[in-house]
Amino acid sequence: MLPRITIDDAKCKVPLDCGKCLRVCPTQVLNLYCNAPPQKFREIDPSHYRVRGVHLLACSLCMECVKVCPEGAIQVAFGEGG
Amino acid sequence: MCDMCVDHGDGMQWHFNAANYARRLYKIRKESGEATGAEISGLAGFPQADEILELIEALDRGDMDAHESLLREYESKARREMLGQTLTIDEVLRAVEFMYPIARMTCMCRKITEALPDEENQTCIGFGPGLYKWERWPETYHGGIEFLHPDDARELLIELNKQGFAQIMFTMGTPYIGGLCSCQYPGCLAIRERLDYGIKGFWKGHDVARIDPNLCTGCGLCAPRCQFKAMSFDPSRGVAFIDPFRCFGCGLCVSVCESGAITLERREAIPTLANVW
Ligand code: SF4
Ligand code: SF4
Ligand code: SF4
Ligand code: SF4
Repeated sequence: MLPRITIDDAKCKVPLDCGKCLRVCPTQVLNLYCNAPPQKFREIDPSHYRVRGVHLLACSLCMECVKVCPEGAIQVAFGEGG
Repeated sequence: MCDMCVDHGDGMQWHFNAANYARRLYKIRKESGEATGAEISGLAGFPQADEILELIEALDRGDMDAHESLLREYESKARREMLGQTLTIDEVLRAVEFMYPIARMTCMCRKITEALPDEENQTCIGFGPGLYKWERWPETYHGGIEFLHPDDARELLIELNKQGFAQIMFTMGTPYIGGLCSCQYPGCLAIRERLDYGIKGFWKGHDVARIDPNLCTGCGLCAPRCQFKAMSFDPSRGVAFIDPFRCFGCGLCVSVCESGAITLERREAIPTLANVW
């Protein structure tokens, strides 16, 4: 069974400017991903970078990411329900 | 010799074959509509978040057939699009001769694994004809690039090596060689995906490190340098230990050993390791 890591994208606006959760995680479970295609001569709006739980097998459920997030955007759960 | 040398080396190691750096191999990047999200980040050949999650879910379900077929798919994509190999600093410095022009740019891995700002994240070296058009793709070259004289590039690469980065040479549309990354575990996707999931997006180098326990003083300087989890410390004998089957031959341990206890040997000279890439 894998941990379920949910990010509320409405609360986490520009993760590239914050990144606290990425850097606090002892095993770098969280990564950014980009949901927009590249465009010639134009930068991508930073709001297209989102936080996601990727390396789920490496999550030790320490909850450091939940604690560090200034926006309360992260939830980590394991097992049935919650 | 690894398969890359057999196919693209023309009798040499593939990264010393000038033809692999040539303009005629450089592929024009596709227009935005066709390009994938991965290409924005310049990580076209690496499995991205979705693909890693698919692999993890297959592992979690115990579906080993699905796992195997995903691994094969990712590896054949890497071979086509972006395949790397670990290089020693001597190999890196020799390869600089074939690069023109050369520029320092941001590392896309640490951007998405650590959200490092561009100015703290200038560890990648890009080179070749693609750089003339870097301004077309401001996201790939976010924060701009800095063109370097080859001597300055060598100096920078030596410094990064001293700091403890493992250097990996990458193709950008195999066999065209277009990038030299300075990498670490777990912030570098290539190393993480190889060590955690066994995805061969890059191969081990042509050397393997070996310790002479009689010369080792047990100072312990070498082991933390290994980005590949190949080293440990044997407390009963007070000497460092290298697992040759895990060693990627980067030489980072060798360069800090003051007693000369670690040497690099040619992989091809050791029959049991000759095909361990
Ligand atoms: S709970 Fe701990 S280990 Fe899991 S993602 Fe958050 S910080 Fe990382
Ligand atoms: S700590 Fe919270 S706000 Fe900051 S990047 Fe992570 S999820 Fe977004
Ligand atoms: S043992 Fe030494 S040469 Fe081998 S991967 Fe580790 S640091 Fe590199
Ligand atoms: S740096 Fe050299 S002497 Fe020190 S522990 Fe490693 S092998 Fe032994």
